[in-house]
Amino acid sequence: MKQKVEKIEKLILPILFGVLLIFLWQAGFLHYIFKLKVYQLPLPTDIVDSLRMNFGKALYDCAITISGAIIGMAFGSFLGFAIAAIATFFPKWGYGGMVVVTALNAIPIVALSPIMNCWFSSGMAQKIGVVTVVCMAAMALNAYSGLNKLKPFSIDLMYTAAADKWTIFTKLRLPNCLPHIFTACKINVASSIIAAIISEYFASSTAGLGFGIKDNLRKAEMSTGWSYIVVASLAGVVLYSIIVIVERNAIKWHASQR
Amino acid sequence: MRKKSKGLKRLSIILALAMTASLFAGCSSGTSSTGSASAGSTTASGSPQKVTLQLKWLPQSQFMGYYIAEEKGYYKDEGIDINILPGGSDIIPEQQVSNGVADIGVTWTSSLMKYQEKGWDLKEVAQVFQKSAMLLVSKKSSNINSVADFKGKNIGSWFGGNEYELYALLGKYNLNKDKDIKLVQQDFTMNQLESGKVDVAQAMTYNEYGLLLEAGYTDATLNKIDVNDEGVAMLEDCLFSNSDWLSKNPDLMAKFLKASIKGWQDACADPEAAGKIVYEKNKSVSLAHQTYMAKEVAKLVVPSGFDKTQIGYMDPAAIKQTADLGLKYGLLTKAADTANTIDDSYWKKAVGK
Repeated sequence: MKQKVEKIEKLILPILFGVLLIFLWQAGFLHYIFKLKVYQLPLPTDIVDSLRMNFGKALYDCAITISGAIIGMAFGSFLGFAIAAIATFFPKWGYGGMVVVTALNAIPIVALSPIMNCWFSSGMAQKIGVVTVVCMAAMALNAYSGLNKLKPFSIDLMYTAAADKWTIFTKLRLPNCLPHIFTACKINVASSIIAAIISEYFASSTAGLGFGIKDNLRKAEMSTGWSYIVVASLAGVVLYSIIVIVERNAIKWHASQR
Repeated sequence: MRKKSKGLKRLSIILALAMTASLFAGCSSGTSSTGSASAGSTTASGSPQKVTLQLKWLPQSQFMGYYIAEEKGYYKDEGIDINILPGGSDIIPEQQVSNGVADIGVTWTSSLMKYQEKGWDLKEVAQVFQKSAMLLVSKKSSNINSVADFKGKNIGSWFGGNEYELYALLGKYNLNKDKDIKLVQQDFTMNQLESGKVDVAQAMTYNEYGLLLEAGYTDATLNKIDVNDEGVAMLEDCLFSNSDWLSKNPDLMAKFLKASIKGWQDACADPEAAGKIVYEKNKSVSLAHQTYMAKEVAKLVVPSGFDKTQIGYMDPAAIKQTADLGLKYGLLTKAADTANTIDDSYWKKAVGK
């Protein structure tokens, strides 16, 4: 019973805070504090209105951005994991890949976008390219530590049973790595959407949330621009929740889920 | 234990909020102090008055009139201490002038009309470019000889408000922008056209067209469509300010225009020298490109047959065409209220009318 009350309290307080914030925004209190005019920060009702008028296009743009983000994240995560696996199997030379991927991680998205625009001609391919590079490092670093930070007694047990490299990998390293993979996925969900949106600022296509935000804010269509921002953050929350739910079911045995 | 961590969490949230709030407070007090500084300077009549000009783009010959006026001391002669702020792709002059970062701005007339329609309290005070500089360029080898040939092609645009002359052009030839062509976002180089990723690209006569010439293309290997010839020109570089600043500094505005017009007259009389001065100010692009740009810009500010003492004149017909095309092709949602969004009294005072 007590637990239930606590759970409800945990849920209701943030919602109340959010509602209060939106109310203050609508009532013009935020405009008063920050000395803003309504044309600089549109009211929530205006944002909802322009979202309603523009809903079909916003949904289409959202689908474009999210599909680019997900495909790029899949590519990037796969490559990152492959690099970590190679570094684990062939520690002597394979660790070089980890170094390269860490260095790639330091390239800012604004520098990466023009490079990808040069390499690919379609806006979608440019976006996937940027997201792939951005998602590689988080996966490689997390997966590497998951594949290698083993409990000494488990690896000893494997050795006493004369297990070969492949068996150790599938029976011990991979399960041990799973929680780390989910951590990387959670990081990558957020960064893939950010990367996809920023790359759309520069990409050659005219679809996507990033183009919608930039183009409308430049053209004084503030409420339409804000409606794109709302869609972008909702999409981010939904994707993150999906990863959390999958994680909860995939690694029930792990301490973090109990 | 549980209780304690919860308390800590709450404390950290409160602290984070307080920090954000103080950050914003710092921002807003920063802008208000610059506002009061410029307002305060109007009272001191002896010492020079500070004026900040926000350009629409990078320091280049597109804005040579202001740089020449600064270099030759024309602003100083009028008692103005000028500060020229360069622009960039995400610096929006309308927003800078509205929030007090700058007093006066350079922007496209069509873009300004959009902001004015949305309720931003900004007024146009002079029209520097009398003609549009917009071209639609393709390689001769693509065989695009008229707008009708655009059908099925990849057409580049910078968007963000720069697409409406293209829309008007397509509309004139009954082409649907969503179905008959493929619109592509263009970057600020001409690489997409050169590599064939777009078939037709937007180019300004004074900038991107020059980049193509510098890359080895010639008038003979390029096809260009001039929006002025097609009758779909919309006005570009103009000067504007916010109504609040104007009402406090009417004389300062006229003085600024007077010095700027003098600067533009010199620049257009000798664009070669003007390009060199701009190049010396900021070596962001080559001297050859700056002088090329200066020559092309001079043709927009003082077109053939235009009286150079009238630089900055706001031609009602051209403004009406800009507003009408804007309304027809989706830039505006209602007819522009030019009676209230344009004020030529400062310009008249500056040219002695």
